[in-house]
Amino acid sequence: MNKPLNQTAYIHGAVALGAQKDYLPAQRHRLHADPQAADLKELARQVTGQSLRQASHFVELAAIGSQLCLQRLPRPAPGSTAVYLGTGLAEVRKTRALFAQVMPPGPGSASPFDFINSANNMAAFYVAKLAGISGRNLTIMAEEFSFEQALMLAISDLHCEECTAALVGGVDENSSPREQHLRHIHLRENQVMGEGSSWLYLTRERTDALGQLLTVESLPASATATSWLETTAARLEQWLERDSSARLLAGFRLTSEEIAALLGRVPALRAEPYLDHCGSFFSAAAFGLAAAFDHRSASSQLYLHVNRDAAGNVMIVALRVFGSAA
Amino acid sequence: MLMPAVPIIGLGMVSCYGAGLDPLVEALRNGQARPQPPTRFPISIADKIKVAQLGDANLARGESGAEAVILAAVDQALVDANLTNTHDVFADCALIVGSSGFLYAAEDEYRLTMEKTGQPSDPPLHGTGWMAAKLASRLAIGGPVLSLSTACSSSANAIIVAAGMIQRGRVRRALVIGAEGLSAISLNGFYSLMLLDPEGCRPFDRERRGLQLGEGAAALILQAGDDREQRSARALFCGGANLCDIHHVTSATPDGSAMRRVISDALTASAATPQDILAIKAHGTGSLDNDTAEAAAMRSLYPAGIPPFTAIKRYIGHTLGACGAMETAAFIGCLRSGFVPGTAGFEAPDPKLAVSPLRSKAAARPGRYLLNFFGFGGNYASLVIDHE
Repeated sequence: MNKPLNQTAYIHGAVALGAQKDYLPAQRHRLHADPQAADLKELARQVTGQSLRQASHFVELAAIGSQLCLQRLPRPAPGSTAVYLGTGLAEVRKTRALFAQVMPPGPGSASPFDFINSANNMAAFYVAKLAGISGRNLTIMAEEFSFEQALMLAISDLHCEECTAALVGGVDENSSPREQHLRHIHLRENQVMGEGSSWLYLTRERTDALGQLLTVESLPASATATSWLETTAARLEQWLERDSSARLLAGFRLTSEEIAALLGRVPALRAEPYLDHCGSFFSAAAFGLAAAFDHRSASSQLYLHVNRDAAGNVMIVALRVFGSAA
Repeated sequence: MLMPAVPIIGLGMVSCYGAGLDPLVEALRNGQARPQPPTRFPISIADKIKVAQLGDANLARGESGAEAVILAAVDQALVDANLTNTHDVFADCALIVGSSGFLYAAEDEYRLTMEKTGQPSDPPLHGTGWMAAKLASRLAIGGPVLSLSTACSSSANAIIVAAGMIQRGRVRRALVIGAEGLSAISLNGFYSLMLLDPEGCRPFDRERRGLQLGEGAAALILQAGDDREQRSARALFCGGANLCDIHHVTSATPDGSAMRRVISDALTASAATPQDILAIKAHGTGSLDNDTAEAAAMRSLYPAGIPPFTAIKRYIGHTLGACGAMETAAFIGCLRSGFVPGTAGFEAPDPKLAVSPLRSKAAARPGRYLLNFFGFGGNYASLVIDHE
């Protein structure tokens, strides 16, 4: 499907903002039900230092997450930093609002502010504007692989010197009611309808890095469940040739049976059920990978994120969090 | 980092002039722009605006209709590239879709449901990646599949990213699609911002009052240039650049400096100087702000005199996310037919801009051409192509 990207990048900043306005480890809670709609206005003001009065909820998510990530850097990001925002649905709430305004039986006219805010790339604009960066700026939409494809583009651009630094995010918002939102993303009955804004800041410099992205690669869809398990497990085992263990970050399309089968097939894997904290959404992979930096142990830790799309294709991201003693 | 040029080997198009590149090129050759009121669906502002809309013969309804228009463009590109009998033609191929979104398809599905049931329904909204995934499955795409949604620069960015994947050896071939349809929400939205010209767009004209939206689809096939069985290229993609102008969400830095920077970056990526450019395909939306900033950018880049430049949105409309692919394909089609098109809708220069685009077509010579695309949210893309 995709040739493995045999290029790595170093992670210098990471933030995972969840559906409960949580971005610090102590704030994380398991989500047992669809979260209440979070009002982000005050948090946006605190984090960005600005009142984003006309900003949509999606823009607020992106702004808060990206700013928190940048604020964790030891030095300001250069103005040429590239922005890659991966999202499955982008401005779903604003677009639904416009539908109600314009399509019958609505009044037939559009709010200009809602229209401007409904553009899929508005969030990436605000990310750049708040950060004072004006380099390459892409909004990548690829359903379940929105964040993974954003990572691949970023790493490739870093290696070809299109940019010297990349701010890569996965942002999606939910909407209500649930049955309406599930027309935009298919979720299983037991899956919580999540949202989040999670970001990694990447360069090619090892100095002062918190971790390393080792690969972003894909496997083609398998004909049977058995062949899926064998193919995926075989690939994950290759990553474990150097490490005695790894944390499995299972994407939202994997069922509990598939996760159990992977864990049984590859005993060196230990599950890290990040979706319990952020719920399910197209770019949730970003939350899982960024939240890996919530708790850094003394020694380095390997994380393997496995996700699947509706067609059965698989994408794997291997990430090493450096030990805090490093 | 300088990269080798990437051949564009196939072009496909569905526009308001019909299926295929030829009818559009003929209209551009003959200066036949025909903006019209929108008639596809009821809209209260129909008598206040002009659009470029597909003829009914080109249309099926709803999501399947949107997909059909795109596939028609892809089929033409395959014919143009002489790839119709190639087994697994898309096996080692990326698919990158550039679009502002498929809202128009969702709106039409909504109308279809209302026609059947008389009741409103939940809007069937999807991200642009949803259409990319559908197309990938239909076409058996073996490489990376994604969509870029960066407003008016979407499919221009798709060309840049696709070429980059080929240059870096990720894939041998790439299929770039730009697709957009007329949307009641977009028409009402731009109207609410007072950005639509009731007479149709008049790029760089002193009486210009805004945009004229359009619809259609284009497909471009790019292929690695080191293939011994390489087909004749329609043009070469030499390089491109993308950046974000953070001045304001809906308007450009007025002095054109951000637009100038993306143009300069594209030239650098192409190992070209401003003087290497024979002509420019401007973004030229006909809006007060865009044309002012774009004119300023060109003046500052070319203090001794701007090369011939043109804008073609009065012909096919402003196709938003699709304009990168559609206007690049159209422009290459014109170059291959020996001309640079004139700027329909331009009658009198604006003294404040101090620039005048081509009024009528000019002869095309072999060499390099610059194409610019400047979108909402400050997302800009510039491309340099080589016409041999």
